[in-house]
Amino acid sequence: MSVEMNTNNVLEGFTSSAATFAADIDQVLWVNLVLSIILFLSVVGPMLYFAVKYRASNVKDEDIENITHHTGLEITWTVVPTLMLAVFFWYGYSSMKTLRTMPDASNAITVKIEGSKWKWRYEYPANSNGYVHKLGGAFTKPVQDENGKVIVKGTMDKSALYVPVGTNVILEMTAPLGDVLHSFYIPAFRMKEDVVPGRITKQWFKADKVGEFDVECAEYCGTDHSYMYSRVVVLPKAEYEAWFNSNADTPKGNYAKGGDAVLQRHGCKTCHSVTTDKELIGPSLKARILTKEQVLDVIKNGQAKLGYDMGAMPAGLATGADAQEIAAYVAGGLKGKQPASFAACSSCHGEDGKGNFGVAPSLVSYDATLLRNVLKHGKKGMIGTMPPFPYVSDEEVSAIAEYLNGTK
Amino acid sequence: MGKSYFDETHCAIGHPKSTFMQWMLTVDHKRIGIMYAVVMFTFFFVAVAAALTMRFELFSPGQQYIEAQTFNQAFTLHGVIMIFMFIIPGIPAVFGNIVMPLMIGAKDVSFPRLNWFTFWLYIFGCIVALTSLFNFNISEGEVLFKFADTGWTFYAPYSLNTDTNVITTLVAGFILGMASILTGLNFLVTIHRLRAPGMEFFKMPLFVWGIYATAWIQLLATPVVGITLVLAILEKYFGIGIFDPSKGGDPVLFQHLFWIYSHPAVYLMILPAFGIMSEIIPAFSRREIFGYRTIALSSASIAGIGYLVWGHHLYTSGMSDTAKVIFSFLTFFVAIPTGIKFYDWIATMYKGKIILATPMLWALGTIITFAVGGLTGVTIAMVGADIHLQDTYYTIAHFHYAMLGGVVFLLFAGMHYWFPLVFGKMYNETHAKIAFALNFIGFNVLWFPMFIAGYMGMPRRYFDYLPEFQIYHQISFIGALIFVTGLIYMFTVLIRATKNGKPCGPNPWNATTLEWHLPSSPPPLENHTKVPYVDFRPYEYHHGQPVVKFDENMRRID
Repeated sequence: MSVEMNTNNVLEGFTSSAATFAADIDQVLWVNLVLSIILFLSVVGPMLYFAVKYRASNVKDEDIENITHHTGLEITWTVVPTLMLAVFFWYGYSSMKTLRTMPDASNAITVKIEGSKWKWRYEYPANSNGYVHKLGGAFTKPVQDENGKVIVKGTMDKSALYVPVGTNVILEMTAPLGDVLHSFYIPAFRMKEDVVPGRITKQWFKADKVGEFDVECAEYCGTDHSYMYSRVVVLPKAEYEAWFNSNADTPKGNYAKGGDAVLQRHGCKTCHSVTTDKELIGPSLKARILTKEQVLDVIKNGQAKLGYDMGAMPAGLATGADAQEIAAYVAGGLKGKQPASFAACSSCHGEDGKGNFGVAPSLVSYDATLLRNVLKHGKKGMIGTMPPFPYVSDEEVSAIAEYLNGTK
Repeated sequence: MGKSYFDETHCAIGHPKSTFMQWMLTVDHKRIGIMYAVVMFTFFFVAVAAALTMRFELFSPGQQYIEAQTFNQAFTLHGVIMIFMFIIPGIPAVFGNIVMPLMIGAKDVSFPRLNWFTFWLYIFGCIVALTSLFNFNISEGEVLFKFADTGWTFYAPYSLNTDTNVITTLVAGFILGMASILTGLNFLVTIHRLRAPGMEFFKMPLFVWGIYATAWIQLLATPVVGITLVLAILEKYFGIGIFDPSKGGDPVLFQHLFWIYSHPAVYLMILPAFGIMSEIIPAFSRREIFGYRTIALSSASIAGIGYLVWGHHLYTSGMSDTAKVIFSFLTFFVAIPTGIKFYDWIATMYKGKIILATPMLWALGTIITFAVGGLTGVTIAMVGADIHLQDTYYTIAHFHYAMLGGVVFLLFAGMHYWFPLVFGKMYNETHAKIAFALNFIGFNVLWFPMFIAGYMGMPRRYFDYLPEFQIYHQISFIGALIFVTGLIYMFTVLIRATKNGKPCGPNPWNATTLEWHLPSSPPPLENHTKVPYVDFRPYEYHHGQPVVKFDENMRRID
């Protein structure tokens, strides 16, 4: 994985000044390290010393002493480590207090975070114009040539969590129902909290330093777990305020509005290939190709979820050989001679099968109604279940539809 | 010389003539232990291969040889095999079976047929796990690699959503858990009922104490994971809505239930290993162990407190902060008895006569690696520190230092210690020591860099990573190669010795416990000729020689 800016990366965070509590955690780790080394040496030191001093060639059998008890020593090596453990507990406890005591909400910016396979999304409170900033999206994976050399670097583009420096930020985090666990981890801030579907978990931080820091998903979430990556960008307060009160997408400029960029930002491309026919996790979007099995499945079971004006498509409009014939024709892209049995379909899907002005979907291309409904409600099909993407705007749906039909 | 247990055996059914069937049906605890070892180590190398595949892939950032999904299946395969098929049966199945009855002067375990059944239940569980590797589409002649991709922890809701063969794997886990329960039951009854007359609890060898504490965990904690796996299966098939938040369930509940078993399970793994340490240290220091009672009771108290600390796996799960503090506090109480054991072992070396034979080298090496594993465990028991280190390579390194550098290293120590007992032959010590050196160096080169990578923020279960972490992955890779070479070397030395080793007599190490006082070597079918009367402590030495000696009819001759 290679990211856009290599000058600012996770290692920079180890100055301990990226977030207010990072120094506390580092102090805990240093105290722990020093005491651990003392404890380690108290075991391994004598062991090595005895192994040399009492080596077989050095000891006569008569000199072996069967010492089995020494009350003073036993008390010492029980009490002293116990006290050290008490110190550890105290440091662990007090640093947790700092990390987990939420600042007063009136004195903080509350950002809603949603983690889903495999992207982070950020929603800000309404600004002075009543505009709600919604940011975030999927990471674009780097492209490698056949030798494994990175030829196009991975990027977050403009998607990031933008926060002002020296300000409390409260994160209210969740994942959509039907998704899985994730964990929002900013190594530079020494901060991590799981994101749980159906629950809201909270975490806070106060960034001390202007810069860009990595966000990683730390709870295993499937195929692209290691690409569920994002950035937190800490801005000077004035710069943040200027952006926050504007309607611009991000402080770095507006998002690209093209269909390809929209598909990327919403993470569509991790499951759907757009440039090839390859079935990744979901079907390829290169062309609207329904397989024979899919067509037969719809004919057999009907389709109630696509939300066209016509309403649900009833089950069993064609059967047996007719259904097979239709399936072969549709799967073939409506090419060749139209079978007579297609009449059962053409009343809704049009004579040419290309849809009927938003009443019923085209069988060979994408229209905005189809895309909007699938994105809004998700879809359970033969290949698997696609989760809903309710936050994709109408404008974006149109861009996607235009893009998909243009690439065919 | 009479016949050994290799020449004759008791069988569960009938009196088969063929050697093969005699092994398949044997109820002899020593033979069953050997069969466990063969199967377990076969799986061990499969899991090592999966891990090596991951190390190859991680050598540099970006995709190298395998796809992300395959990588995820590889670490699941590694974890499931290492945990459920290797380390949970682990030391109890091998040495609990072979050595424990010998140590207490018994002729076999209390229920030999149940023991036989348990072994085959374990094999059945392994077969079920293997079938979950692939999907067979016979009509199209396809074989798809469909092993679970959930990680060995099977966290909901991921395990409920994935379309890989996670259910079959859960069923396998359930069956293997059942085998573990039956092993525990058998050993508990054996230790309570079949100790030689006069052998009170505080005259038992410390390995038996380890097995005893473990048996209770196997019996009481394993059902919880059984229930959890069944609930996950019901959830997946019938949608009962206990873990799935979209049906009103709670995914964090799965984590609680899972760790209520799986945390005590790590003590289930380590306690018998500590038992092996307590056997080896006095035998190779030629003197009585320091603080026998403390070591015995610390095993028992670790087993007890171990039940109360599972929540330390959930510091970042969204669990309440109060619960985190309580679990953190309780966790430190496990560290205290563990630390005391270590000081007792070191004190045992004081004014002894230390013989650096291979088993002792493994034991002393483990003191170093386990000290690192234990102390880094203390680090992540601290809530504030763990919030940063949870689910990073730091945790992975800690776990492997504790489990591989603790349990497995001591299993190897035990292998070298009891090898002459089991086979009546001695391996080549020089080669065995070279193998130890390779393993010890390779292990540390492999795992130590991960502490630093984890501290810098390298999360676990990552197929790809930020370029800054490359150096740590590359050092680890070199360590992995050395380590694997060492493992192969070690097993070669031992396997060759089963054929070419020099006969070594019943007590080559001058050890004191009863398994070294057998009438012939290798042991006869029914062990000691007569059950001895035990009115002595297990590690009595005088001037470096065992105090208690027996003639061939188990009469005291000291």
